[in-house]
Amino acid sequence: MHLTQQLELFPDHFVTQLLFKDVKNAAELKKKAMEGQISGALINASMVLDPFQLLVATNKAIHLQKTGKMKTRSLYSEIIFNLSPTNNISEAFKRFGISDHDNAVHIVLVHTKEEDHNIDSILSKVEGQQIPISQMSMLSDTAKIRKLYKVTSQEEKCGSLLDSVICRMAIKDVL
Amino acid sequence: MASDEIKATLCFLDKTKLIKQGAEARVYRGTFLGKPTIIKERFPKRYRHPTLDEKLTHRRTTQEVRSILRCRKAGISAPVVYFVDYTTHCIFLEDLVSAITVRDHIRSIQESKQTIECLHMLADKMGEVLAKMHDEDVIHGDLTTSNMLLREGDGAGDTDPVLIDFGLSYISGLPEDKGVDLYVLEKAFLSTHPNTEALFDRLLKSYMASSKKSPAVIKKLDEVRLRGRKRSMVG
Repeated sequence: MHLTQQLELFPDHFVTQLLFKDVKNAAELKKKAMEGQISGALINASMVLDPFQLLVATNKAIHLQKTGKMKTRSLYSEIIFNLSPTNNISEAFKRFGISDHDNAVHIVLVHTKEEDHNIDSILSKVEGQQIPISQMSMLSDTAKIRKLYKVTSQEEKCGSLLDSVICRMAIKDVL
Repeated sequence: MASDEIKATLCFLDKTKLIKQGAEARVYRGTFLGKPTIIKERFPKRYRHPTLDEKLTHRRTTQEVRSILRCRKAGISAPVVYFVDYTTHCIFLEDLVSAITVRDHIRSIQESKQTIECLHMLADKMGEVLAKMHDEDVIHGDLTTSNMLLREGDGAGDTDPVLIDFGLSYISGLPEDKGVDLYVLEKAFLSTHPNTEALFDRLLKSYMASSKKSPAVIKKLDEVRLRGRKRSMVG
């Protein structure tokens, strides 16, 4: 169901992604994450196209944490911030974090040993149905993604929507 | 803490394969987040003052990724940027695994004694892409047939050539800069591929047909041909 990958740049870090639909307690989850009771990034599933998008955001967040250059307060908030094409923090949380009435949630966990994730603790907190990560494209809202990342049709001629999104995420700090 | 991090990226580079070394950067090939990736590392230049070195290297790294994004937004094919490490000045780029350079493609056609006509489509495409790039005011700075790639099964020009190596690129609307950009390509093109004057002419014709701003650029190109790339500073 979930997907765990090792980061090549930080071999002692693993990233696990989980996906839930029909979530009933988004507001509560959001509150818990903000209070630090959930150690994971809770992401609006409609804004994600591919697991690679979250790997890029997570890799960058760990890199910035290690170099002391994070823009937000925690690794998990930094992951959400890195998804955004702009440098506006509150807007990033609003668009890419979960909202009280969301019913699909994408969760990213970072851990240092392959099996040492806290999936069980996450599963016990989310009131919803876990679905395979491979089904994530069914939840993504490509029209909204195109609009938010300002991807034009001429750009999509030279690559996929995911390519355009990744480029903006990687380059936004020097624009 | 910062030094640990530098070690992390450099440790990673140790495990990847060095494929090119130039005066400005080293290019590696490896896997990053599960994808085939090209890593361009601008290493420190010991002959420069450290502060100046840091500043120049940082500026060139940011310039390179900005130009790539600007081109892609305009629909000009360039590799996807996956990640930029500004502490070690490494750019992680999409690896077009089965792509070949325009240089190798032209050579193989010439060697196979095929007629040059089968390269006409390619010259047209190159002219169009460069016109589009100059219309966006991106000056590549190092146009050669080695810095243009063709995706696999693409010899006839089904899709656009992919521009790479924006290390010397900058933004400018001046016809002078665009003229010099074309002049650099002309020099490189004709010296890499002998007897291709007609082909390069075709490229220029396609450039002229595709860009509204081309007359001023071609006028400058003619001037630059007479005097060379650098402007005369006499007087």
